[in-house]
Amino acid sequence: MKLEGTYLFRETREQVWSTLMDPAAISSAIPGVEEFVPLEGEEYAWRAIAKVSMAAVSGRFAGQVHMSEIQPPTRYRLTVSGEGQGSIISGSVVMRLEEKEGGGTALHWDAEANISGKLARIGQRLIKAAANMMSKRFFGNLARQIRAPA
Amino acid sequence: MAVVGKAVKRKEDPRLITGEARYLEDIYLHGMTHIAILRSPHAHANIVSINSERAAAVPGVIGVFTGQDFMDVNPLPCPWPAGGVDNNLNTPRALEVEKVTHVGAGVAVVVAEDRATAQDAVELVDVEWEVLPAVTDAEEATFDGAPQLHENAPNNVCMEWDCGDQGGTDAALAASDVVVRQRLRNQRLIPTPMETRGCIAQHEAVNGEYTIWMTSQAPHVHRLLFTAFIFGVPENKVRVISPQIGGGFGAKIFMYPEYVLTTALSKKVGRPVKWVETRSENYIATTHGRDHVTDVEVGANRDGTITGLKVRTYANLGGTLSTVAPGIPTTLYGRMLSGAYKLPNIYCHVTGVYTNTGMVDAYRGAGRPEATYVVERAVDLVASELGLDPVDVRRKNFVPADSFPYEPSDNLLNGLSYDSGNYDKALDMALEMTGYEDFRAEQAAARAEGRLLGIGLSTYIEICGIAPSAWMFGEGWGAALWESANVRMHITGDVVVTSGSQSHGQGHETSIAQLVADELGVSMDQVHVQHSDTLGTPFGYGTYGSRSTAVGGVAVWRSLQRIKEKARAIAAHEFEADVEDVEYVVNDEGVGIVQVKGAPDKSKVVGEFMGIATSAAGGWDLPGDMEPFLDETAYYDPPDCTYPFGTHICIVEVDAETGNVEIKRYIAVDDVGKVINPMIVDGQVHGGIAQGVAQALWEGAQYDENGQLISGSMMDYAIPRADLLPSFELGRTETPSPNNPLGVKGAGETGTIAATPAVVNAVVDALSHLNVRHIDMPLTPSRVWETIQSRSNGGNS
Repeated sequence: MKLEGTYLFRETREQVWSTLMDPAAISSAIPGVEEFVPLEGEEYAWRAIAKVSMAAVSGRFAGQVHMSEIQPPTRYRLTVSGEGQGSIISGSVVMRLEEKEGGGTALHWDAEANISGKLARIGQRLIKAAANMMSKRFFGNLARQIRAPA
Repeated sequence: MAVVGKAVKRKEDPRLITGEARYLEDIYLHGMTHIAILRSPHAHANIVSINSERAAAVPGVIGVFTGQDFMDVNPLPCPWPAGGVDNNLNTPRALEVEKVTHVGAGVAVVVAEDRATAQDAVELVDVEWEVLPAVTDAEEATFDGAPQLHENAPNNVCMEWDCGDQGGTDAALAASDVVVRQRLRNQRLIPTPMETRGCIAQHEAVNGEYTIWMTSQAPHVHRLLFTAFIFGVPENKVRVISPQIGGGFGAKIFMYPEYVLTTALSKKVGRPVKWVETRSENYIATTHGRDHVTDVEVGANRDGTITGLKVRTYANLGGTLSTVAPGIPTTLYGRMLSGAYKLPNIYCHVTGVYTNTGMVDAYRGAGRPEATYVVERAVDLVASELGLDPVDVRRKNFVPADSFPYEPSDNLLNGLSYDSGNYDKALDMALEMTGYEDFRAEQAAARAEGRLLGIGLSTYIEICGIAPSAWMFGEGWGAALWESANVRMHITGDVVVTSGSQSHGQGHETSIAQLVADELGVSMDQVHVQHSDTLGTPFGYGTYGSRSTAVGGVAVWRSLQRIKEKARAIAAHEFEADVEDVEYVVNDEGVGIVQVKGAPDKSKVVGEFMGIATSAAGGWDLPGDMEPFLDETAYYDPPDCTYPFGTHICIVEVDAETGNVEIKRYIAVDDVGKVINPMIVDGQVHGGIAQGVAQALWEGAQYDENGQLISGSMMDYAIPRADLLPSFELGRTETPSPNNPLGVKGAGETGTIAATPAVVNAVVDALSHLNVRHIDMPLTPSRVWETIQSRSNGGNS
């Protein structure tokens, strides 16, 4: 399944980029996140647990997050794999930052997700809507952090 | 006072309406444990390892088991491979061991003190998978390079089967004025009974006996499979009880891994084990139906005479074989492709294919709806190609009423013959009820206003009363299909009938009681029909294929004749008359009497206390060496199947703006032979039409490219609602079957067999002025709308 979207930040590209590279900022922006700890011996990789509600499936998913293809300050890829509630989610999202004329930054994201198990059977129709909602919350949370005093 | 033919209220309804009926979920045993099954989230994967430590540590968990723990239990059998050809068989195990070939295959099980604990703990079983590429389409699965599911099935082919005459049909098509070709998809359906499946098993270690309560349409067949095939124990070690069943539609005929698992576990843990399928599991673990891709070629002459029919079908069987999976798209499909028509040349080739999808097996109608869809669409395609009225093309090709018994050409039925029929009569009645000519005028007027009305016909036949054991054996079926019944008249005149057949909504307790009441001259209240428990009922092959009355009912009738003979002999002895002079009659009040012909003072009631029933049960003064009691068992194996037929007519209005199809009227004239209870037959027809319409318009299982079922809940899979359907207008003709003494044919599947093409033909008719020739099911608003748009923009197909 392919998903995509754009989120507009008022901040400069450099400001957005540094927040996107900050594990603490990412961790606290993920809706429902309960754990986000670095994987031993690996840079740009974390073990994560998040509580997710999607369609009729609700509960904890455990998995890993990897960051790759990092091209400061314009682009990187997040690869996610998670399991829980009789379901398996895997996929990746590429985020591209673009400076807007007149200030601000556009973040374009392109995601590809594979969903197996219960979530595929009973949530497929609603996943796009749910994913869009969750991404809005994620980027909204990020934006709040950029604005918040350090 | 005869009750046969009357709309007697059903004896089983009071307990169903008041909630007193006991379903599997209502049964609790002392010390009962509960299980939850870990099912594959992948459509195709190797099982690398399973770690059950975390699950086993959960308080309340009794044990966690994997496939390795059941290697002493045989894989499930497939007793109906396709007949006369090689079959590459692959059947499931209680739990899969090395690899899975569809989402939902079980790989581990948690046994716990309660269901919630089991369900929570099963999510803690860790499986390491090696995920493999998946294929879900039957035709694509046969292509070179497609993912391979089983080592013994190259190109995923389970079997290649054919019937009819290929060379003759090719020659006939080549010589025809026109040949119409069309690809037809008969989409996969999910049966969705109100009650899901379930099983409770109890094992007594002292004597090694299992008692198994299960949602079964065929308890004796389940016992046969448990004993002879799976556990290798004799029949007396297994008792199968089928409690009240909330709908089956075929899906509860089969042996499933969960039944084997639950039963094996009851021995392993030494306590009763209960498994009840969740609705979510039902979508992925219970069999699906249909799923054919068919190329049809039909040849005709300009006057509408059909010269030949050639059918090429890929039948999707799923990841592994269910119990009778290969028999459905072969014998029950190919052999029915002559329909109601005298077709001079027929050929059908079927490839049964494994794909990474749920198992496919018989679903209400089973093969015959798929065949009827092909035939009835083909006839309409010929009419449309030649610019003829579909009614005229049907009449021109009907098997004439004076041609019965009729044997279809090219040995299509492998030696059997249509028993009786008058296809024009049913068609005439349906056209009369519809007002066909008036409708055509109304349709033309509506079209001038931009409204899209359409009418569709289905002049179907069925093959029912599936039985002749020798014939079925030749078709690959590894057992017999006779039925049996025991009738006992007790000392007070009450009658108990035990039947090997099983009732899960068909109303056996009423229909059979009507038969007994009329034949013996007792009241309906005096007759008790017992079934569904292998302890105390004679062997029978169960309920499917519209066979309970046409086969099981005849076994009852035969027992009744023997009871009557014995009653006459007892009366002759008491009256000191010759047995030839004693007759068994049912008087005007419906009371059965034995009397000496011409001597009305010498008569005695049979079914009452101190009547012949008491003489027989008491046994004080019986003739010669006669044994006491009116107690007779009979078996019945018919010489042929039965062949119901009829005409269904559907009138639709298509909304050109939205593509929505509204069914305005639905007229059904069915001939199911002699009718015992018209209300029960009407009910069967109603339900069948609803299911058939639903396939045409709404239902359809959807898999994504990874083999994930994405229509796996009631929110995502459409089942028909009453408000989407009109009040059906039913009519009936009655052509008795000469193949059995009751003249019955079978009524359980007519609706699903007839309705689907009637609806599709109606929608295509509504759009015929746009040069639409065919739309694949389901005819959802989006699909119909897209078709209208593509044609309105000058498109063509």
